[in-house]
Amino acid sequence: MSDPLQQSEEALEAERPRQRYLLEDTGFDEVPKKYRKFYRKWKGAGDELAPNEVICPVCKVVIRSSRELRPGDRVYCMPCMSRLVVVRTEQGTLEAHVAY
Amino acid sequence: MSDFLSAYSIQNWLESCPQGYLENTEYGHQPGEKEPELLITNPLLHEETLRATVQLVVGERCALSASSGLINAAPDEASKRFLATQTLDEARHVEIFTQRLYDLGVKKEDLESTIRHFANPNLVKFAEVLLDKVDRKDFIAGVVGQNIVLEGMAFSVFEMLHALNQDMNPKFAHTLSGTIADERRHVGFGENRIGSLIKAHPEKKAEVERMQKEMSYWMLATFADAFRNNTAAAEFKRIEQEAGLEHHARFQGVDLAGMEPEAMEVVLADTVLKEFKVRLGRIGIDYQTPVRP
Repeated sequence: MSDPLQQSEEALEAERPRQRYLLEDTGFDEVPKKYRKFYRKWKGAGDELAPNEVICPVCKVVIRSSRELRPGDRVYCMPCMSRLVVVRTEQGTLEAHVAY
Repeated sequence: MSDFLSAYSIQNWLESCPQGYLENTEYGHQPGEKEPELLITNPLLHEETLRATVQLVVGERCALSASSGLINAAPDEASKRFLATQTLDEARHVEIFTQRLYDLGVKKEDLESTIRHFANPNLVKFAEVLLDKVDRKDFIAGVVGQNIVLEGMAFSVFEMLHALNQDMNPKFAHTLSGTIADERRHVGFGENRIGSLIKAHPEKKAEVERMQKEMSYWMLATFADAFRNNTAAAEFKRIEQEAGLEHHARFQGVDLAGMEPEAMEVVLADTVLKEFKVRLGRIGIDYQTPVRP
């Protein structure tokens, strides 16, 4: 059985509207032009991810969404073509897991 | 499955590579870029640069043989088409690193003898383990060996070399960034395709795990040869100090520029092995710790 408090937090999060982001081209040229704004290079340790970003665990590219990401969201990494699911870590950060 | 594999199409490859990051490049770098004069005139640095570049050619020749050999072993048309694009990627890598040898002054008639002279025997053994699986048309072991072990190693090696060369040698750094972009697709295919195949063929696990352990040992032995007693690193440092250059190269959260070669070997080996463990774990293969040379 899951923690009732957690349920209420999830319910609250689900009700809260997602923040929207205007994506600009970051110079990432490894995918066709129309998709480039959805990706950027990861700068390594110390590179902070925005609420609309997750790292692809397969190829280490940062995937960007036009809206805030939440657990359960499905994202696609075009540079390595991996399908990913967003999960919340124990530390409270967002992480992408590969869905085979 | 068909939707996932359709992403690895030749159309996507054309839009990403020749019409993407390779557009307006020659041999992977911007037109007109040259190797630093020092790498040609300083005998110690010249020999070390030749040696390092030869290992890249040897690794890429192995990848070319493996990806082309796996085409006829692939169980479906989409995988064959992906491997055809990978074959061209690998052929390009062989070409650009071979061109670097020419840029460093190797004459065309001396190419094969130069490669034979500098090729690390441990890297050759690493390649032989993989190519044995390819010769047997063992698709699962071949793709794990090629797209997870070999490409996983190349991914980290290229990233480290890129960090080391970004400020000091933009020409080589540009060449490397195109190969890193290619490796993303290759490791992606390896994980995504084999992730489902291992579930369908659990009987292959033990053999694949043995191969990973053996290839990892030869990889570590190659790293040991490359880093231990490396006199060129000290020469690079001496030149930088004399010229008053401040060189920083961040890789895996550490500054490589201030490290001894032996410490760099540890960072690289640990990075690659950790990546193997995580990648293999994701597709249901138990990572086997190799013997440390």
